[in-house]
Amino acid sequence: MTEAAPALDGRRFEDVAVGEALPSVAYPLTVYRLVMAAGANRDFNSIHHNTEYAQRTGAPEMYANTQFLLTAWERCVRDWMGLAGTVRAIRGFRMRSFNVVGDTMHVRAEVKDTRIEDGRGVVEIAIRCENSTGVTVGPGVVEVVLPRREEEDR
Amino acid sequence: MTEEAIESDWKADWRPVVDAVGQDFSDGETTWGADPVERGAIRRYLEPLEFDCALHTDREAAVRAGFDDVTMPYTGLMSWTLPPMWRPGETLFDSDDRNAQPVRSAINNQDMPIGPRTTGFFGTDIEVEFLRPVVAGERIGRRGRRLVSCAPKETAVGRGAFMTWESDIVTEPGEVVARIRIGTYAYVPKRATGDGEEGE
Repeated sequence: MTEAAPALDGRRFEDVAVGEALPSVAYPLTVYRLVMAAGANRDFNSIHHNTEYAQRTGAPEMYANTQFLLTAWERCVRDWMGLAGTVRAIRGFRMRSFNVVGDTMHVRAEVKDTRIEDGRGVVEIAIRCENSTGVTVGPGVVEVVLPRREEEDR
Repeated sequence: MTEEAIESDWKADWRPVVDAVGQDFSDGETTWGADPVERGAIRRYLEPLEFDCALHTDREAAVRAGFDDVTMPYTGLMSWTLPPMWRPGETLFDSDDRNAQPVRSAINNQDMPIGPRTTGFFGTDIEVEFLRPVVAGERIGRRGRRLVSCAPKETAVGRGAFMTWESDIVTEPGEVVARIRIGTYAYVPKRATGDGEEGE
């Protein structure tokens, strides 16, 4: 299945306005959390759970892994759009600095563009991770498809 | 040796990799995830993210949405295409040094057959096109490993190269469910500087 199911809860294309901010999500980054993340997403690179090792590779501390950060973007978008939307693409997910333990990472996003494409309601969301040093990942884009009321009413 | 000569010398070590841009390093093999996507693994994946979405946790909700079972978060692609860390008969840990690394790991640059040996490695950027969600019970793999670019560069953490790899994510019947481009930086670490600059 690739299309949003009409009966599902969630945001509709007509409800979305360019510039609308999505609720931000805060992630206090602790050793505990990063160890859980490594165990669950299987990125066992020691830079993500071992301070000594991370520092030997030039980082100031152990830091959150790519999978965790990428899915943090997905969660921010899913929290906002609900069950009805589908994710079509992610672009511009680019690491700029380390998301280290002992800091809080925030995912912040806003609607960048909306358009009808082949009858589908396409929404581009500009998104980024930030910590106390500024932007750490992105800014990039998550492109989603939301159901259109007009189509559901038919 | 002049500074300029040293500079060109280490970059020259990466020349075989730069020349290999366009090559598919997979040898036609698909790298399958260790296990099929399954509910318990999805639940554990969601926990550290506090990611609350019924499509991933509630089978009935997923069925109402038109799926046979709960779906994997879209962005779980890399986790569910990683091969097992260990197979029966293998030795994975052969040292009691506190920070010793396993004998092998899929998350580093160990399997790169050409270019300099590196010990530092991290992801730098990702682009993904999702064609459809993956459902519990499906097994996915990474088909193709085409080197799209290679740019040797010295950064705050060491000397190495930024490389971009392109793959299709496929199910066992061969359906492409996503296309992915992953950027990595493989490097020889300097002494830790504490600068923390990652990527460019």
